[in-house]
Amino acid sequence: MQASRARLFKEYKEVQREKTADPDIQLACDDSNIFKWTALIKGPSETPYEGGVFQLAFAVPEQYPLQPPQVRFLTKIFHPNVHFKTGEICLDILKNAWSPAWTLQSVCRAIIALMAHPEPDSPLNCDSGNLLRSGDIRGFQSMAKMYTRLAAMPKKG
Amino acid sequence: MDSGDEINIYSDNEVNDYYGEDANNTDCNYESLIKEEDFVDSDSDSPVAKRPRLEGPPDQNYTVLKQSDIRERQENTIAEVATVLSVSKAVATVLLRHYNWSAVKVHEAWFSDEDRVRKNLGLLPIIEFPLDSTEVKCGICFDLFPTRDEIVSAACGHPYCVECFRGYIRTSINDGPGCLMLRCPDMSCCAVVDRDMVNSLVSEEEKHKYLTYLYRSYVEENKKIKWCPAPGCDHAIEFDDDQGWDVTCACEFSFCWNCVEDAHRPVDCETVANWMAKNDDESETKTWILAQTKPCPKCAKPIEKNEGCMHMTCHSPCRYQFCWICLGDWHNHINCNGYKEDKRKEVEEAKRHVQKYNHYYERWAAHNLSRLKAVSDLGRVQTEQIEQLSDIHGKTQIELGFIAEAWQQIVECRRVLKWTYAYGYYLPEAEDAKKQLFEFLQGEAEAGLERLHGYAEKEVRQFLNADERSVNFEGFELKLKSLTGVTKKYFEKLVSALENGLSEVQEAGKSNMEERWRCDRCTYANSWENVTCEICHMHQ
Ligand SMILES: [Zn+2]
Ligand SMILES: [Zn+2]
Ligand SMILES: [Zn+2]
Ligand SMILES: [Zn+2]
Ligand SMILES: [Zn+2]
Ligand SMILES: [Zn+2]
Ligand SMILES: [Zn+2]
Ligand SMILES: [Zn+2]
Repeated sequence: MQASRARLFKEYKEVQREKTADPDIQLACDDSNIFKWTALIKGPSETPYEGGVFQLAFAVPEQYPLQPPQVRFLTKIFHPNVHFKTGEICLDILKNAWSPAWTLQSVCRAIIALMAHPEPDSPLNCDSGNLLRSGDIRGFQSMAKMYTRLAAMPKKG
Repeated sequence: MDSGDEINIYSDNEVNDYYGEDANNTDCNYESLIKEEDFVDSDSDSPVAKRPRLEGPPDQNYTVLKQSDIRERQENTIAEVATVLSVSKAVATVLLRHYNWSAVKVHEAWFSDEDRVRKNLGLLPIIEFPLDSTEVKCGICFDLFPTRDEIVSAACGHPYCVECFRGYIRTSINDGPGCLMLRCPDMSCCAVVDRDMVNSLVSEEEKHKYLTYLYRSYVEENKKIKWCPAPGCDHAIEFDDDQGWDVTCACEFSFCWNCVEDAHRPVDCETVANWMAKNDDESETKTWILAQTKPCPKCAKPIEKNEGCMHMTCHSPCRYQFCWICLGDWHNHINCNGYKEDKRKEVEEAKRHVQKYNHYYERWAAHNLSRLKAVSDLGRVQTEQIEQLSDIHGKTQIELGFIAEAWQQIVECRRVLKWTYAYGYYLPEAEDAKKQLFEFLQGEAEAGLERLHGYAEKEVRQFLNADERSVNFEGFELKLKSLTGVTKKYFEKLVSALENGLSEVQEAGKSNMEERWRCDRCTYANSWENVTCEICHMHQ
């Protein structure tokens, strides 16, 4: 079996086994393609994303885990390191700081950590980065909260 | 340096043979990184070609390094650190790379706090795993292995199967020079993956790539060494002290070691950087300047500039002689370097600025092109012309050396002249006296150079015709030598004046150019205090 497929299969089995281990992450593999995954992650508490559920899409390359997966937000999110239109994420471990010891599960954890600790100095969303850098924390939080409510929360009624 | 010994510090007993000593293993031989034929004409002890230096410091303050020199230094430094610190060469390499290849800095850091250095660089003491441990899980493929036989680890002991770790190193090598800093894949671990480990796992081709990165890092991370920027040249220059940045590589390319721009003495790096940035900004306004045709100022027929000097002669029947730069009559025009500020009030500042810039840029670019043309002419003179002349006039090539010298002088003077236009552009307009002195010296130097360039380019033609053996070749030799010497002196004056920041002005108060006497022989304008000409020593 292809090394990437074998490794993904192990991750798949691990996910099945520990489904309840991390209540903030629900990782699932596409039934017909083990190289396509989606995840639902909970917005971390005490952040403007609290209460929201965000969907991530993973595209895993053939060279995985020697090469990182491509991950993007499917749910709209207002965050300095996430591209507002495409959902692309700027996170070092998904680029030059990638290591094959990361798993899809631990990548999800790193993304949750990024939601709680944005890095306004490498912004993909300039509006959001500028608000933070200029010290307008309240402005940033109200925008982020608004989008969480609009895009990441189940509609009432 | 003891170059007779074949030093191969990369192979010792406990360490793999990094550079493949055995003969059938030539693929990844360090030797193969060095193409011997690159050095056939520069392997003497004085690799730097003699070229006319305008009163430069007699002692060279830099060293040209060939690939073999760089390798030897790198090997010696690694060996030194390994010996002094009693560590493997692979570890010494990690340390040296971190401290920009300075053995002194490695020693200082290591002996003041070895533990801290080890921790920072991930040079951990080796952790032995208990032999009785049961199954081991590879940290990359997550497969279980019954024994540690197929498992490899850095000093930290985190287990990976051989296949996965090989893939890990291979991916990193193919990603670029970052492979030289490779760490254990474990997220919370910083143990280095050193060269020994790399060498034990990858193919010859990948080892070769790794070694090339390592070789290049010796120059690129070293604070005192830079690559020669000439295309295709793989020499490097080590700089010893901060006096005079201009260096000349063994490939004959001259550049400023500090800013890696073309050599620009006597103009400082800041002025050059400003000027080059300005040229980028003004790229649109300057396209027309570079055009190599202009209408003849008299008959308006287009004239193409195909010679180096600025002295243009229109086609017959017009035959009007004019200056390429200012389009003025060649005979009534002594120099055209002075920029007349346009005082008319209705000319807005912006337009004035463009005019001023164009004036300097046009001259800067013209002298640059002329220099390039002179460089190629010099090549042609050395390969063809001197041989022809030698046959026709029965002179040895050494006797004809004065012609190449004249051309070398022309090349060097065009270079200086080019940069003086960047200098002139930034000379504060308020400093009238300085500006006057500068333009005077520049004008004299430029006029001298035009005389020399024109003579070397055109006068020689009559001697290339075998039928005219009778013409006065000695006269030509005498005149060309004297023009070369005179031009050299003009430029020496110009260079030293600019390097002194035109301080002559302060001493002499307002220097008065009108009150000078012009030498009949070389046309230099001497101060009345001089009885003999400052340049050619002829009596007034
Ligand atoms: Zn493995
Ligand atoms: Zn480790
Ligand atoms: Zn060179
Ligand atoms: Zn410079
Ligand atoms: Zn004409
Ligand atoms: Zn001329
Ligand atoms: Zn002119
Ligand atoms: Zn004279």
